[in-house]
Amino acid sequence: MRQTKAYLIICCILAAVWGCEKKKTAADGEMVICRPMISKVQTLDPTNTRDIYSALVVSQMCEQLYVYHYLKRPYQLIPLLAESMPAISDDGMTYTIRIKQGIRFQDDPCFPDGKGRELKASDFVYAFKRLANAKYASQNWSVFDDRIVGLNDFREYSKGFKKEWDVDYSKPVEGLQALDDYTLQIKLTRPWPQILELALNDYCTSPVPFEAVQHYGVDIVSHPVGTGPYRLKTWQRSSYIELEKNLNWRGELYPSEGEPEDQVNGLLADAGKPVPFADRIIFRIIEEDQPNWLLFMRGKLDVMYIPKDNFDKVMMPDKKRLMSFMQDQQIKLTIFNDPSTFWVGFNMKDPVLGPNLPLRKAISRAIDRQKYIDILFNGRVQVAHGLVSPGLNSYDPNMADYGYSRFDLNEARALLKEAEAIYGKPIPKLTLAMPGTDTLPKQMGQLLQRMLEQAGIQIQVDYMDFPTYMERQNKGQCQMFISGVSASCPDAMDFLEMFASKYFAPGSNKFFYSNPEFDALYEQVAVMQDSPDRLAWYRKLEHMILDDYPAAFMTHRITFYLGHDWYKNYKPFVFGYGVLKYHRVDVEQREQFFNRIHSSKKEGK
Amino acid sequence: MQPRGYWSDAIRRLRKRKLAMLCFWIVAMYAGLAAFIWIGDILVTHLDWKIPIVQWNEHVGPSYQKPAAQYEFVPEMKTESQKGWCLLGTDFMGQSTFRKTLYGAKTAMMVAFCASIISILIGVPLGALAGYYRGWVDDAIVWFYTTLGTIPYILLLMAFAVVLRGAHIGPWELRGSVSVYLAIGLTSWVGLCRLIRGEIIKRKESEYVLAARAMGCSDFRILFFHLLPNVFHIILINFSLRFVSFIHAEVILSFLGLGETDKPSWGAMIDAARTELARDVWWEMAAATVAIFIISLALNIFSDALRDCLDPKLRMD
Repeated sequence: MRQTKAYLIICCILAAVWGCEKKKTAADGEMVICRPMISKVQTLDPTNTRDIYSALVVSQMCEQLYVYHYLKRPYQLIPLLAESMPAISDDGMTYTIRIKQGIRFQDDPCFPDGKGRELKASDFVYAFKRLANAKYASQNWSVFDDRIVGLNDFREYSKGFKKEWDVDYSKPVEGLQALDDYTLQIKLTRPWPQILELALNDYCTSPVPFEAVQHYGVDIVSHPVGTGPYRLKTWQRSSYIELEKNLNWRGELYPSEGEPEDQVNGLLADAGKPVPFADRIIFRIIEEDQPNWLLFMRGKLDVMYIPKDNFDKVMMPDKKRLMSFMQDQQIKLTIFNDPSTFWVGFNMKDPVLGPNLPLRKAISRAIDRQKYIDILFNGRVQVAHGLVSPGLNSYDPNMADYGYSRFDLNEARALLKEAEAIYGKPIPKLTLAMPGTDTLPKQMGQLLQRMLEQAGIQIQVDYMDFPTYMERQNKGQCQMFISGVSASCPDAMDFLEMFASKYFAPGSNKFFYSNPEFDALYEQVAVMQDSPDRLAWYRKLEHMILDDYPAAFMTHRITFYLGHDWYKNYKPFVFGYGVLKYHRVDVEQREQFFNRIHSSKKEGK
Repeated sequence: MQPRGYWSDAIRRLRKRKLAMLCFWIVAMYAGLAAFIWIGDILVTHLDWKIPIVQWNEHVGPSYQKPAAQYEFVPEMKTESQKGWCLLGTDFMGQSTFRKTLYGAKTAMMVAFCASIISILIGVPLGALAGYYRGWVDDAIVWFYTTLGTIPYILLLMAFAVVLRGAHIGPWELRGSVSVYLAIGLTSWVGLCRLIRGEIIKRKESEYVLAARAMGCSDFRILFFHLLPNVFHIILINFSLRFVSFIHAEVILSFLGLGETDKPSWGAMIDAARTELARDVWWEMAAATVAIFIISLALNIFSDALRDCLDPKLRMD
């Protein structure tokens, strides 16, 4: 007994010592980026990554063929793993891509001698086939459905196997061929003008070595093996993620071209220097706003969003500048438009909502979006008058005039009467699925409940954590749900295709919205090359969606981002995530900040 | 002199204690308020009354107004602004904190009452059966409640609340507060069961039981008509003592987001304050905390006094 006690005590002491060791964030002169992460990360397997939190981490470790230039605006695609832009056949159906030579995967025990091997064109073929594997059930499959010659056949073939691992990847796919070690050829079933923006620059097409998949099996979600500038060091599920430099990385130089303002803003000061700058990146997973905020104010986080409850305290009433005490701390504010749309979605398969357009319309009319924004977001988001967000190619500045986002209680009540006539009896209490159990989701739920109640529509709100929410949504078990999307490229097709019936959940169509007319037009427009005509068709598609009210579109986000002055080279970058390699921390300046805080505390005492 | 009965004597002695009586009236006030609001809710849902007794979800002012501050605002469904005033300020939506606190009393009292009933319905019969029959019945019941008792209470409570929320039992779906009643009731009968079992074991050999048995009474009759009425005071004391902890359990569940989500509750009000305190909004938390404090204190003092008065050994005082 006594011995056990002694062991316990020793264990405690060791744990305590180890805990102290952990807390030390940076060794001498080591450059560490510390960032907040407001949600748990679901997976670090790029092929199945879909949410922005996982994407942010994955994108530092895995790379794709193409990427947007960090500084140039309008956004311009440049090769990353590819050697050059693809050679496209005249009919727009065949893409031939040369891949850079000498790129190596990070070192990992999954390789024979633990050394990362060279990246080959066949790794991309494998990555695409894995995406198509029906037993793997990637959330990203919808992007590739019926796009590449033979890939759908491969998917059908994979359905014949019991488990993901049993699928034989040696079965050839006609449209995906490694012509030699460094040449990848993709043949499309029909023209796909957005293939570069939507697929080849997306983290889901990052090559994953088959050795890693075989070695780790299900655990691949926590053992990412990529070609990127960083590699995973630690992932404590609900506490932090730590990345360290990938020593195998080929190296890259900081861009020396950009917008004219970049020179003035000091964004070109590091031009031509080798990246990545930081030795380590730490994402602290804290779902609550206030702890994050306090950590940021104490300098433990380099960057930070502004929590709703702190907004009025730190921003001038014009909502454009920071209060002087924040400026004294040398905190910088960046405001930018983050193309995104948020909505209250309706499950069109639901027997109450699905066949009842007046009911969905009534819900949309009953929501006072401006009040919603004023109360919940301090006016930090814009009203969404339609689906397509500002900053995307087909955004229509006159959208507000069509009145889809109109708030009109009387109309809502009249529509509800109509809806009850269709349903045959009073509308039962509806259920709204809300991701998150924190204060903001709760307040959103309460406010929506009250707004709808004013029009006579009763709802109850189910609060759940994000993974549960995603699962229910994908299974079509949510009647109404709060969700949203951030654009991954400037082409609005990304938004429009969420309503095509061939992308039913677990694809991107979580609404189970199905309109044959829309589908037919979508098929036509999706293969069109960029032209003013195409924009007009995009708008037509958007109106078809809006007329059917598969969702009440609510808001577009405007991001207010804070960064300490020591955090350099930060430029808003909304179409991709793998840019932390360009960011730099002035370690000395950060040290000075800590000393200042320390001495002011002492004075306070 | 007419000898006094057990109960009337207990009440007489209770009346002599001024503090206990004050606490009793406080508890009665909370209970009355809860009952009043409950009846109002029923009238609204079933008899189509237009206005509930405590209209907690009405927007009575702008967001986060300080307690007792004057303000101007445009009421819902109106266009002209008017002057307003709120005793305990308003929350993020402009709802009155005072009304929410009052409504919170209903949520807490209802949950505590229903959960108590559930736990009594489970704990008392099980304890009685175990104590009366002993043998394998006793072994099984003791094993069961010991196992349940080893699981940390809050964890067990949370697990039950998560599982029961939205669960289907036959044709019914458990919604909102019902799952909370069940979660608390199903997890907290162990203590009562143990007490009743002990008391029954002590009393089953007493003369009146032997007499009843000699007269040919059935086990059921002896147990439920002779033994249980004699341990009823234990149930009553336990009920009043447990009531406080059930109110606390409800507050904890609501704070964690597992309790009542559609209606105001003290726990949810405290939960909201987690972020509100950052913007110096203290009144929601203060109102809920004071409300909980008063009912807890009053119930504790009252049930202490009740225990003293119902203790047969102290009757001779």
